[in-house]
Amino acid sequence: MSLAKPKIRELLDESSCEHNKSRKVACNAPTPGATTGGCAFEGAQISLFPYADAAHLVHGPMTCIGTSWETRATRTSWQGRDLTQMGFTTDVSLNDVVFSGEEKLSKAIDYIVANYAPEAVFVYSTCVTALIGDDLDLICKQAAEKHGLPMVPVHAPGFVGSKNLGSRLAGEAVLRHLIGTREPEHTTDFDINLIGEYNVTGDMWQYSHLLDELGIRVLSTLSGDGRVANIRTAHRAKLNVIVCAKSLVSLTRKMQEQYGIPSISLSFYGKRDTTNGLLTIAEALGDDSLIERTKALTAREEARLDRKLAPYKSVFAGKKAVLNTGGNKSWSITSALQDLGIEVVATAVKKATEDDREKARRYLGKDGVLMMNPGAEQARLIDERGAHLLLAGGRSLYTAIKKGIAFADVNQEKKKSYGGYDGLLNLAEDLKNALENPVFKLVARRAPWEE
Amino acid sequence: MGRVTHKTTKPLQVNPIKLSQPMGATLAFLGVDGCMPLMHGGQGCTSLTKVYYTRHFSEPIAIQTSAVTDAIAVLDGGDYSIVESVKNICRKVTPSLIGLHTTGLPETKGDDIRGVAAQIDYPLVYVNSPDYEGGFESGWALTCKALIEQLVEPAEQVNDNKVLLLPHISLQPLEVEKIKDFIANFGFNVLALPDLSTSLDGHLGEKQAALSSGGIRVEEIKGLADVGLVISVGESMQDCVAALQRKNPAIRHHHFVHLQGLEATDALCELLLSEVGFSKPAPAVIRWRQRLQDAMLDSHFSLGQTRFLVAGEPDHLAGICRSLYEAGGKVTLAISTVNSPQLERLKADNVIVGDLEDAERLADEYDLIIGNCHCEALTQKLGKGLVVRGFPNWEQVGNQLKNDVLYEGGAYFLFECANAATLLRGHRAS
Repeated sequence: MSLAKPKIRELLDESSCEHNKSRKVACNAPTPGATTGGCAFEGAQISLFPYADAAHLVHGPMTCIGTSWETRATRTSWQGRDLTQMGFTTDVSLNDVVFSGEEKLSKAIDYIVANYAPEAVFVYSTCVTALIGDDLDLICKQAAEKHGLPMVPVHAPGFVGSKNLGSRLAGEAVLRHLIGTREPEHTTDFDINLIGEYNVTGDMWQYSHLLDELGIRVLSTLSGDGRVANIRTAHRAKLNVIVCAKSLVSLTRKMQEQYGIPSISLSFYGKRDTTNGLLTIAEALGDDSLIERTKALTAREEARLDRKLAPYKSVFAGKKAVLNTGGNKSWSITSALQDLGIEVVATAVKKATEDDREKARRYLGKDGVLMMNPGAEQARLIDERGAHLLLAGGRSLYTAIKKGIAFADVNQEKKKSYGGYDGLLNLAEDLKNALENPVFKLVARRAPWEE
Repeated sequence: MGRVTHKTTKPLQVNPIKLSQPMGATLAFLGVDGCMPLMHGGQGCTSLTKVYYTRHFSEPIAIQTSAVTDAIAVLDGGDYSIVESVKNICRKVTPSLIGLHTTGLPETKGDDIRGVAAQIDYPLVYVNSPDYEGGFESGWALTCKALIEQLVEPAEQVNDNKVLLLPHISLQPLEVEKIKDFIANFGFNVLALPDLSTSLDGHLGEKQAALSSGGIRVEEIKGLADVGLVISVGESMQDCVAALQRKNPAIRHHHFVHLQGLEATDALCELLLSEVGFSKPAPAVIRWRQRLQDAMLDSHFSLGQTRFLVAGEPDHLAGICRSLYEAGGKVTLAISTVNSPQLERLKADNVIVGDLEDAERLADEYDLIIGNCHCEALTQKLGKGLVVRGFPNWEQVGNQLKNDVLYEGGAYFLFECANAATLLRGHRAS
């Protein structure tokens, strides 16, 4: 087991990251007083916490986990206690800061092993414990020997950078400490790893049964409905499938170098993307019969979905939407909306990579607007294009009310799955409800005492 | 009073209810009108705190971060990142005040934020609030004290008509408003510091959360040294009173451990009557007292057969435990986030400083839980009832309009608890 910490500069300089051609380190330079978005610790948490059979111990003061435990609706079929939805922290005190928190940390690990019998313990460093220099590697090594369990130090303290970097560091930790440490009981020609799919609100389950039906085996995931025992065997997969996650390309590139596993990147959002996604996997696995079966299956699923969506056709006919979100959602939600028959007249690309912008441009066509400054542009575009629906974060609610049009919170997907074929039905139902809801017009009513 | 255990012996927290000091500081600054809370630390503390409050209040939250990175952490003593932050904030908005508060990171490396603050030529209040010390209540109270120390202009005269309310952190926006209105009903001009009742009360306005939209104004804070009377609610607020009295020793002070239930509200009423020399309060107050009396009787049968676990901040526990006790509810277990002198006074059989793992371990001791939304999973696992109170409540909307205080809120609170207990017994019987 290599104990050297990952080289952050190397991770930032990721060669297989397309959007990083022009900005070698700029992905990691927040501006004081003008920064939004989470830190590396949060990114690591998002990537690893879905392992529900492992304990996630945060070595730091109270802000890190006090704000964030039980916030991610990642679902699991693990029969034991769902450790994802628990918060473990050493809650370091002034005393620990002065005299080191190492002893407390190893006692905390012992406590967790004794009381919760996890399959592994992920130990996260944070700004304070990284600064005081607590030796996580050593403590994890000693604990692993003592308990005979994988103990994974995760070196993603918040101050090293963004969520994206934290995800990479999490991938790095998994590669160093878990992948390749166990052999699968058997292998098949169609074994894949799902990377960056966290099964939020059960998104993965919207399509995983289709993979089963096609005979494609999910050998392991990072980390939706994941198992520690499985990710340890990930080096035997035939293909890495990255699901909507740019942050983990470093991991898959290294797995290609070390284990010769090729990787593909795709999305399961909306009808077209789900079909494309399944076909891309089949093609990458390179089996003619599998490709034929996949074509048949996607045709069947699309037909089934179309039948179920038929009642919504009239609701969405002629409806126009403005979409204000970021990252891959700028095109993936666009695709889903178009599948429902809604015209997307504008989408925000301020917080999207070059690659995402290109995709958004393709989906929107030449008449659609890519908004670089959505806060200022969206109100005008709603008027100019005659939009009926604004999909955005909560902050934009007032814009919709002022314009008297329907509003849908793009973050609703954190409570309900919009993924795969059937997720589109959830989206359709929610948007129908939004369009039919009188609230957006009524709350804008003038008060009796106003001019 | 019952057994009190002030310290936990565990090397960790499992399913914590404790919240950090900088988060308390943030919330206090959000009770100042046009303020931009600036958290000094890594960007994650700010981002997580913003999301946390956005979900609790269903409102956009104003906050910025000094975004300290590993390189800056080594090279900078806060001079660069704080000065840059102020510059960048003012490029986009014009806050009435910048509320600088620290996290564990800059405190560990020993940033001199007082020195940095002195270099900044912009209205700014600073507070040291590392998250490896204290907790939610102390972060709020330290900020309140800093606002007083750094903004209030000393005075010698007092205006007997002017009252300042110092509410503890667990009072939700409508509760602060109800207490202000109650006092105002006796003819006083009332200000609250901090004042969430006009900022995070969930009003529809043209807001983009660029800055806090409501709260006590900076000018009003500057002029606080002439208040005739200061009323503090909650043990955590005592230090703030002393800070204010240093600005003007003529200010008189009355302290309330909490303002829940019949006796506490009677005490407030009595104080205010004696201050103004009236024999009776307004008719509506008298009516609400009668309604609370009736509510106590209507709910006593259900509450009297119910054992409660109350989990939360010490000052919040004081009010809830007392209110339940008055109608016969038995608080068999109280779990406090942190240690506090308040714990000795709680009307509870067993008081510990702990987490929700402790709640699970002691599951035989209670039937109904009063605590934050993290208790939801516990109630399902253990088959208990739940009344959601405290931070956070991400599962329900309308938190800003919850009201448990004084005669009126007390009545609603008892009904809600009694009904939840009856529902639980119904479920268990079937």
